[in-house]
Amino acid sequence: MIPARNLEIAVLVLGMLVLLFEAFVERIDKRTLAFAAIGALTVVLIGTWFLEPGPALESATGFWSFYTADPLSIFFKRFALLTTIVVLVMMIDYAPVLRSSAGATSQSGLGEFFALPIFTCAGLMYIVSAIDFVMIFVSIELVTISFYVLVSFTRRNPTTLEAGVKYLVLSALSTAFLVYGITWIFGVTGETNLQRITTAFANPEIERGGALFGAVLVLVGLGFKIAAVPFQIWVPDVYQGAPTPVTAYLSVGSKAAGFVVLVRVLRPFMMLPQMERLLVLIALLTVIYGNLAALPQSNLKRLLAYSSIAHAGYLLIGVACLAGSAVIFYLVAYLLMTLLSFAVLIVVAQRAGEQISDFDGLAKRSPFLAFAMLIAMVSLAGVPFTAGFFGKFFIFYAAIAQRQTVLVVAGVVTVACGFYYYLKVVRAMYWQVPTSEEKIPVNALSRATMSALIVATIWLGIYPWPILEALKR
Amino acid sequence: MPPFLFWIFALLMLVFGAAVVINRNPIASALNLVVSFLGLAALFMSLDAFFVGIIQVLIYAGAIMVLFLFIIMLLDLRAEKLRKINWLASAGGIAVALVLLTQILYVIGNLKAAQQTFPPLARSTIDDVRNVGLVLFGNYNLPFQIIGILVLVATIGIVLLSRHELR
Repeated sequence: MIPARNLEIAVLVLGMLVLLFEAFVERIDKRTLAFAAIGALTVVLIGTWFLEPGPALESATGFWSFYTADPLSIFFKRFALLTTIVVLVMMIDYAPVLRSSAGATSQSGLGEFFALPIFTCAGLMYIVSAIDFVMIFVSIELVTISFYVLVSFTRRNPTTLEAGVKYLVLSALSTAFLVYGITWIFGVTGETNLQRITTAFANPEIERGGALFGAVLVLVGLGFKIAAVPFQIWVPDVYQGAPTPVTAYLSVGSKAAGFVVLVRVLRPFMMLPQMERLLVLIALLTVIYGNLAALPQSNLKRLLAYSSIAHAGYLLIGVACLAGSAVIFYLVAYLLMTLLSFAVLIVVAQRAGEQISDFDGLAKRSPFLAFAMLIAMVSLAGVPFTAGFFGKFFIFYAAIAQRQTVLVVAGVVTVACGFYYYLKVVRAMYWQVPTSEEKIPVNALSRATMSALIVATIWLGIYPWPILEALKR
Repeated sequence: MPPFLFWIFALLMLVFGAAVVINRNPIASALNLVVSFLGLAALFMSLDAFFVGIIQVLIYAGAIMVLFLFIIMLLDLRAEKLRKINWLASAGGIAVALVLLTQILYVIGNLKAAQQTFPPLARSTIDDVRNVGLVLFGNYNLPFQIIGILVLVATIGIVLLSRHELR
């Protein structure tokens, strides 16, 4: 049995080793580092099934009042590791683009490009285990700071530079809100541990105004991380400008971590009045805005950015209805289909481009890539027999059980919107005439990753119970 | 500390803080920031947090500001050209700030703790350097170590992004 904290330590040591090798070992193909990192992360991933259980949240002291190894956190540690592995696979595909935009012929900067996601992964693993506001703040910052670097990695490209600056400034602003909120909550309760804050909030003597103000400010900070309306302004530009594997990482890893923190802070916050109504309002705005703004997009990366806002909206419906397991299932489905679509996008974008019109006739040029994108798109839209369908189904089921009629109606109408813009991509791939007949090659590792994601998407669409069972324990 | 000193220092911070934003010349902005930090340090000291106050002067007003000035010098930044001000955006920004201010004042106004006078702070038996150390290396050890990783990542990032040509 392995103590849970060793997982993060292993990941951090791996990150430092990759940096050392990149600095001191010359004349190796830097991509070897990525392959080694993928292998090591897989070992850590297997290690998550052999963990010592931690003490119960209520009786936790010392180290365990900051860090927990409950089923939720272990589940999302696997989630973070899996995302990082797939992102590293995408980064190997993306390496030629990086090299050409660096203006150099050698493999400069590649080692760091592969090492930073490993540190981000450790940060994500700390976030999902964090049960103390200080810990939450510090680990969110670790993730955010590594994303600042990753987003502006190809800084010779003006759109990337713009994305990097926008992300830096707006993210710093949201962090300020988060810290200010945490200080208010600390001022009112004198605690930073979530468990003890819950107890303090349940006390009727508590200063309601101050507690509520702090909670709302924390929600603003988290709303930025999960891209909820009205804190979504950064999303389209940053997603479009960042290197594509980083965009995928940002839209899956960063968002999932934000939702796990949201689920954790919800327990104390729901002790306060009007919190639920506020969440319902944010969820409503987010689904409507995300779906409507996605309609006219012609750049696929930007379309996926708006779609990620829309999906944050569906997830927020689940959060507002307190349907924890529905939210988690949706996050898993979202992980599979989003990573799949980005993996295809990276390969196609190098040969053709990022516009939807560049996907014209992809089915003739590369049937495998077209099929992978088809599965990703129908799953994002929520067609039955895909993971996306069950995700939406569980969310709406929870909303109906909570009698949130407005949310259900808004959700169903916007799903119809979603069909239009997701199927636009499918139409381009299967019904348009290709502009060139040239085949698009896919390397073996990417092909295997994509196949695994396709199988998982369809499998969870037919048999979703393993995920729901995994959380019960 | 007499209350009027609090108001003087708070006003000092606010005025110079605003000057940081309003000034077009980066060096003037940086120097205004120093004064604003000094006001903050004085506020910390008035709360008997001498160590934090001194650190505020040493690290922020000292080291970090010198670094700022160096960067401004090295990059040879000139005063910003007067841009056309987007009045609609500024009005919106001011409106948001006012709403937030009203909200904060309202919350503080309704705070029970804000309406009673506090008894003077009890003299601490151990000095505050020791106190800060105990908190950082004792109870908050795990977050403290994660900050170490954070600084490492930030260092890598700075080296990468400031490298003139990727070689």
